[in-house]
Amino acid sequence: VSSVAHVPPATRRAQTRLGIALILPLMAMVVIFFLFPLVNAIYYAFVDFNGINLAPPFIGLGNFVELATDPAVLPALWHNVIWIVIGTASPLVIGFALALLMWKVRRGSLVYRVAFFLPYILPQVAVGVVWTWIYDPTRGWLNQVLEVVGLGALTTGWLGDPDTALYAVLGTAVWATTGFIFLILLSALRNVDAELVDASRIDGANSLQRVWFIVLPQIMPVFLMVTTLTLVGGFSVFDFIFVMTGGGPAGATEVLGTYAYSSAFQLNRISYGTTLALVITVLAIPFTVALNRLQRRLSLQGTGA
Amino acid sequence: MTGTLSGPPTATIRSASTLDDVRGADNAMSPKRRALLGGKHLLLVVLSLLSLFPVVLVISTALKTDEDVRVNPFGLFSSFSFENIVTAWTVGSFGDYALNSFLLSVPSTVLVVVLSTMGGYTFARLPFPGRSICFYLVVLGLLVPFFTYMIPLYFQLRSMFLLDSLVGTNLVLATTGLSFGTFFMRAFFSDLPDELEQAARVDGASEWQIFLRVMMPLVTSGMGALAVFTFLQNWNNFLVPLLYLPGGGYRPLTTGLYLFLGGRSIDIGPLAAGTLITIVPVIAVFIALQRQVAEGFLSGAVKG
Repeated sequence: VSSVAHVPPATRRAQTRLGIALILPLMAMVVIFFLFPLVNAIYYAFVDFNGINLAPPFIGLGNFVELATDPAVLPALWHNVIWIVIGTASPLVIGFALALLMWKVRRGSLVYRVAFFLPYILPQVAVGVVWTWIYDPTRGWLNQVLEVVGLGALTTGWLGDPDTALYAVLGTAVWATTGFIFLILLSALRNVDAELVDASRIDGANSLQRVWFIVLPQIMPVFLMVTTLTLVGGFSVFDFIFVMTGGGPAGATEVLGTYAYSSAFQLNRISYGTTLALVITVLAIPFTVALNRLQRRLSLQGTGA
Repeated sequence: MTGTLSGPPTATIRSASTLDDVRGADNAMSPKRRALLGGKHLLLVVLSLLSLFPVVLVISTALKTDEDVRVNPFGLFSSFSFENIVTAWTVGSFGDYALNSFLLSVPSTVLVVVLSTMGGYTFARLPFPGRSICFYLVVLGLLVPFFTYMIPLYFQLRSMFLLDSLVGTNLVLATTGLSFGTFFMRAFFSDLPDELEQAARVDGASEWQIFLRVMMPLVTSGMGALAVFTFLQNWNNFLVPLLYLPGGGYRPLTTGLYLFLGGRSIDIGPLAAGTLITIVPVIAVFIALQRQVAEGFLSGAVKG
């Protein structure tokens, strides 16, 4: 900021002109295709819009009251909670374990990284299709493998069984996200102070203690950052569930996202669907802000030390 | 991969990994450590195969003969034929879907890279009154999921006659990538030294020339990473074409695959072939531009 102070006025005017010219198209798109519909979303939540009447009646908190009393909302929210907890914790644990395993490995590390990361960048629709086959009740690999290893009693129609459907879809999501977390944590591990780790080894710390007391604190900011990402993603989960189960069987995998979609586009309850989607955001933002703040504080401490 | 990364966020990663290279002398290793490393590799190979198994399954099923698919759809590589691919490409219209996927991902990606570079430069190096508020409005998009405004956007596009249009869908896809893109490019421009800009100014360069001739060439690696990252995001996008191309005139691979899944679930062969057609470009881009992909996703996470 201080260097800006001794810029001559003519330069500053030229910079202002160029700056405005450069961000004009950007701002136009952000305003038209993001801010405008966002403001509209808030408007929709307070009226009763069915997609046809262009002057929908104002109903105040009507949509929110209905949401609070709708018997379908609580189970959907609960499924989101399960999704967030398991869908965040398992890729973190598996990804961290993988990253630790890969930490000192150099030979072939490129191949392993490609193998683990590839699932994350594949289109979720395609991933959903394949996993539907893996979960196939009769010919799917999962049940076949279970039979072979003598766990035939566990076989079930994974996606068709209300008790297992949500966890089956979650399994797919965990498979897809783990590689991403693995890659981030692996690159964070490369910044861990190796001398500190070696010193603690000499002091007699076992490998679990080294990971817990020496490695983990050093990568904590990154750890929290990926936690935020997967956690927030868990609120707006949609593609996997939509493709693999469509919210079924019998609502067993319905989450707020799929419920908002079907309310708006299948039942033409535009306002109600929008209100549900708004609730998703309102629920997610405090988590994002809190974790970001924690992460910032930790990384500031890290640089100060 | 990380060893050759460039750009501000990864500078520390690079130096750390070269350190690693110096230290990790494989040949001066005790037998015990060698055995441990061998065990690690064995475990890593098994886990890699597990990770790649679903992809292998798609390839295997897509390349089966018709009879084999009916009898044994998921047995690995028990026959070989391109008939499913041909069926999916022609009868299943996956050829058209692939073209549409390109028409939806390439222009939107170009738009994101160009506008984000322009915006990133402004937010990093061209101060003017009101700039901060503009920046906050742009990065608000990182906080608000697409979900929140997708329904009103549908009706807005309808009234703008941009529903079921390539232009409209490209604009929406581009906008969903602009917040991150601007944020990403700004970091690259922020890290360039002030002296460069001042020297160019002393030499009589205009502000426009400084941007285009002096600064932009220095962030091309960032632009490349952003392009690859954005292309993959747009190629994979499912919700945007699902919502805003309801007529199906420009249906891309993702929603085409979904339609196929709902329509004839028994046709596993062509479905596998369609899935393969959908993921092959992603895999190709990833293998060819692995460094840019990783850089895009990593910095995306670190900064987002």
